[in-house]
Amino acid sequence: MDNSKPSKDLFVPVDLKDSESERLTRPSLSFWQDSFNRLRKNFGAMAGIVVLLILILMAIFGPYMNKFDPYSQNLDHSFIPPKVPVLENIGWLGLDGVETAIIEGETVESAMTTVKLRMGPENAEFVETRVISEGGNGEPAKIEAKLDIYKAKNIETSYWFGTDSLGRDLWTRTWHGTRISLYIAFLAATIDMVIGVIYGGVSAYYGGRVDNYMQRVIEILVGIPNLVVVILMILIMDPGILSITIALTITGWISMARIIRGQVLKLKNQEFVLASQTLGAPDNRILKKHLIPNVTGLIVINTMFTIPSAIFFEAFLSFIGLGLPTPTASLGTLIDDGFNSLQTNPHVLIYPAIIISLIMVAFNVVADGLRDAFDPKMRE
Amino acid sequence: MARYIFQRVLYMFLTLVLIATFSFFLMKMLPGTPLTMEDKLSETQKEIILEKYGLDDPVPIQYLKYMAGLAQGDLGISFQFDNREVTDIILSRIGPSMQLGAQALLIGTALGMLLGLISAIYHNGFLDYSSTFVAVIGKSIPSFIFAGLLQYYVGLKLGWFPVALWGTWEHTVLPTIALAMFPIAIAARFMRTEMLEVLGSDFIQTARAKGVNKFGVVFKHGVRNALIPLVTVMGPLAISLMTGTLVIEKIFAVPGIGEQFVISITTNDFPIIMGTTLFFSFFFVFIILVIDLLYGIIDPRIRLAEGEK
Amino acid sequence: MRKTNWLLLGLALVLSMFLVACSGGSDNADGGDTGGEKSGEKSGEAAEGEPSGEQVLNITDSAEIPTMDPSLATDAVAFQWLGSTMDGLYRLGEDAELEPAIAKEHKVSEDALTWTFTLREDATWTNGDPVTAHDFVFAWQRAVNPETGSEYGPYMMNGVIKNAEAISSGEMPVEELGVKAVDDYTLEVQLEKPIPYFLSLTAFGTFLPLNQEFVEAQGDKFGLEANTILSNGPFKMTEWKHEEGWTLVKNEDYWDAEKVNLEKINVSVVKETSTRVNLYDSGEIDAAALSGEFVQQKAGSDELKVEEEPVLFYLKMNQQHEVLGNVNARKAIQMVINREDLVNVILANGSIPAVGDIPQNFVKHPETGEDFREINGPLIETNVEKAKELWAKALEEIGKDTVNLELLGGDSEVAKEMDAYLKAQLEQLEGLTVTVKPVPFKERLRLDTSMEYELQNAGWGPDYIDPNTFLNLWVTDGGNNKTGYSSEEYDALIEKANNEYATQPVKRFETFLEAEKMLIQEDAVIAPLYQRAVAKLWKPYVKGVITNPMGPDYTYKYAYIDKK
Repeated sequence: MDNSKPSKDLFVPVDLKDSESERLTRPSLSFWQDSFNRLRKNFGAMAGIVVLLILILMAIFGPYMNKFDPYSQNLDHSFIPPKVPVLENIGWLGLDGVETAIIEGETVESAMTTVKLRMGPENAEFVETRVISEGGNGEPAKIEAKLDIYKAKNIETSYWFGTDSLGRDLWTRTWHGTRISLYIAFLAATIDMVIGVIYGGVSAYYGGRVDNYMQRVIEILVGIPNLVVVILMILIMDPGILSITIALTITGWISMARIIRGQVLKLKNQEFVLASQTLGAPDNRILKKHLIPNVTGLIVINTMFTIPSAIFFEAFLSFIGLGLPTPTASLGTLIDDGFNSLQTNPHVLIYPAIIISLIMVAFNVVADGLRDAFDPKMRE
Repeated sequence: MARYIFQRVLYMFLTLVLIATFSFFLMKMLPGTPLTMEDKLSETQKEIILEKYGLDDPVPIQYLKYMAGLAQGDLGISFQFDNREVTDIILSRIGPSMQLGAQALLIGTALGMLLGLISAIYHNGFLDYSSTFVAVIGKSIPSFIFAGLLQYYVGLKLGWFPVALWGTWEHTVLPTIALAMFPIAIAARFMRTEMLEVLGSDFIQTARAKGVNKFGVVFKHGVRNALIPLVTVMGPLAISLMTGTLVIEKIFAVPGIGEQFVISITTNDFPIIMGTTLFFSFFFVFIILVIDLLYGIIDPRIRLAEGEK
Repeated sequence: MRKTNWLLLGLALVLSMFLVACSGGSDNADGGDTGGEKSGEKSGEAAEGEPSGEQVLNITDSAEIPTMDPSLATDAVAFQWLGSTMDGLYRLGEDAELEPAIAKEHKVSEDALTWTFTLREDATWTNGDPVTAHDFVFAWQRAVNPETGSEYGPYMMNGVIKNAEAISSGEMPVEELGVKAVDDYTLEVQLEKPIPYFLSLTAFGTFLPLNQEFVEAQGDKFGLEANTILSNGPFKMTEWKHEEGWTLVKNEDYWDAEKVNLEKINVSVVKETSTRVNLYDSGEIDAAALSGEFVQQKAGSDELKVEEEPVLFYLKMNQQHEVLGNVNARKAIQMVINREDLVNVILANGSIPAVGDIPQNFVKHPETGEDFREINGPLIETNVEKAKELWAKALEEIGKDTVNLELLGGDSEVAKEMDAYLKAQLEQLEGLTVTVKPVPFKERLRLDTSMEYELQNAGWGPDYIDPNTFLNLWVTDGGNNKTGYSSEEYDALIEKANNEYATQPVKRFETFLEAEKMLIQEDAVIAPLYQRAVAKLWKPYVKGVITNPMGPDYTYKYAYIDKK
């Protein structure tokens, strides 16, 4: 057993240098790297970011991807259904440029007459019909009619999203509209952010009487429903991109200001800020070095929530007739145009509706992801 | 507490006065009169009509008169409906809007909470993802698209509920659902976050450790604690429903206040625009006040803080 | 969807005569007037069936009734329901023929200035009072009395009824109005000058009688609620839920009650076309006005009826504007617009291209019976090349290269498409950019009145059946002219038609023909766009609804339900 006694030589003291005693085993991560790591693991948020990037890229480049421009009209090509090369072969997608209708009539003949009228007499030779039921015994005859409009009208190019009532290409208009909606939303969110951060920051940082007065103002402003203010502002300004943006920002900055104030109030009494102050750091250094970096996360999150609501509001304004003047396309005006065709030509509504929904989902998911990412409690 | 309430009510009135002033002068900046055919009328006649609407005074006098009228609940006469009092018009239109709003809020929050609860209990499970999905959809699709789809498919194709119009409770079903989508989404998300936090806290862990079963814990401790913060979102929700009713009312032909507001905008009916603005604002500040007070009552910590003041 | 061949489609549709016109004074197709769910069937069908089943008609209107006070009413919705609940001296019947109502007959003096109406003695108000000549005197005096604040009273009566103008400007007491009750059942009216279309005016809402005692007892509340209205017509209003709907029931005390078949009319306020169509499809309502897309969807259905209306839409050009003051520029604008596409693709509801100032099927030559429009033919052609030449010439004359014009948007359901289309069409002219400014209907009226516009998409419906209602608009300083157009020659023509030829129908008609040519062809004052039609679904069991070119859109007096 003696042998089992380990030789002391085996134990060599680790040469612990002073400088290494405090060495961190985990890689040092800044707040941002840490947050980014967490964000990366959040599948939903990452998917949201990808979707957003795609949408933004499409908003920038989409309108140039075919030969149409968003305003040129071609009344011969009014309400052409969408057709996409390749995808046209997948039946259920409905991207084959074929219009299908099921038509009822007392007899097969009368239904046929209706088919003719509905599909347009001049297209008669291009209509394919299939009798679903012969009718009789009180049951109406049913005919399924299919019309390949592209063939009937001899249209060479494909309208990927179809066309609207004036024969404008909806692909171009939709992406153009996405661009304008995003532009309005980003602009409004930026203005909200700037005003909100300054107002909230000043109010909290200087505190005392300044804070008291500034808070009273906010308290009153909060009482004004933003819907009403936005509508009133649109009424006195000529409708346009800028006036909608201004109207949106008039009350939009308030929530940002409140959040920033709350955060700054919390921060400014914390030791590191007090220390810095005691050491004689000037106001702007404290702001720059301590306060701003610590509220950035909140600002980003809040802005991420502002953008989709601005897009929504723009759509809403269009819907009640206070949106952008025609022929400008925005997601709101496109949805408004398409709403009346919901039952007759659903393709006009579907694409802008899908895109606005995607934008909303993506921003919300990303904002949620960011909130989790910035939240140190979520650290593993 | 009494002092706090008094202070809040004071602010509320101050806010309303400011809004009234702001919107009054805004209206004065807008062109337009109650006359449709100004040119065909003689001067005498114009004067008489303008006098009827109190538009013959200089603007500051008009303002004072308006504010005096406002104090007595008199909002003037509508431009588009001859001789009809704005107050009467607003009062007669509130009912349907309030009913729809209240139903949507109640049903929406109840369903939303349920969804949120399910999400939290089955955290990261299939049910969690599905209910999150529902919530995201509810928040992301504009309510008027829902309304159009509901009307066409549920109303017309399935024939389950009346397509539109107003009258019986059946008529309220589709508009309520269309309106409720948003509160469902918000309440679900909120409930989920709150529940997750509550479920992770020490006292729940303790309860679980003591052998209380999962659902018992959730209902006995979890829901109660998650409910408190939910009150805070109810206010903004109630207000967002106001926006919703504006379009929903038009689609379902509901004789509500939101619809009236939109028509008044397109017909330059300034007295109604003013009146409705003030009504919305009053409703808004009132809700905020109620929520704040409610919050103070429910949450003991807040009461404590007030007491220290 | 592609263009519909309206010729063919038309075969499958019942093209009925006319449709109601608009609110007298206002241009428009706005909420109020689109209120016009106009349409109906040709009453000819009345002969085909007879009432069976429950006599209840369920319909919609597109807006709340602003007032049921005939003196204050200004829009199509109000006139519609006043027309259904009240009878004036005459009322509009089939094919816009005037039929005696409260008046049994009338005599006109030789100088055409004194009209004497003999009233029927069996007409009563719903409170039991008889309808007398005094009721007319009271109503008409009230309409022009400045204290009433009526806009239509002075508009319709000034220059027509003796002394109306002076009374409405407060220079004369109301008692001086040229209308008096000779006895209870004889009404004597003094006109300012001979008015060939006066009889047609007596069917208009502003000329309805009022029961003095009742009106005065109600004070400010008159005409605001179902119980502050007094009827003497085929129906009476029993319930009025504001903004939601109203109910009319048959007036059993009506003098002609035996001809009234409907027991009840339920009206709901519905503004969205898709909502209306869904309600119609679910069977809750019996009629639904359609927009173009739904017309396409319903093509081939027997229930689809197209109603042509004598309502004209046109681009109004402000001649005070440097460019629009140039006649060549205006001609270029007239010529550059493709109206076929406009009506076939954008409106797609049976509207027809407008090629003059008078709509088709509105007035006929008093002797040959030929249509006014047919005689004058199309006064404008679409010719883009020629338009460009004219435009270039105009720019040269003015000395400009580029011009920006602001277009005040229309307010029809397809306003947005229409505005975008007009913009694109006009911009074919080199150097022209058009900015569209969408404005609410009332705001557009205001900008029109103060002439703060450059181009606007305006409309006009007749106040009475006579070319004068359209052509008289454009005389110098005419209340609705507002284009800055002023031509002595044109004024002289209209003056001649209304005074010198007032009693010579043929010469008068020919003068109007000449005036229209001058207005459109020579002076290019307006660029006519289209004549409105309304496509509407009617359940096949609804029969006998008459559509009117002016006043109330529909006459329901003879309507019935045939559910066999």
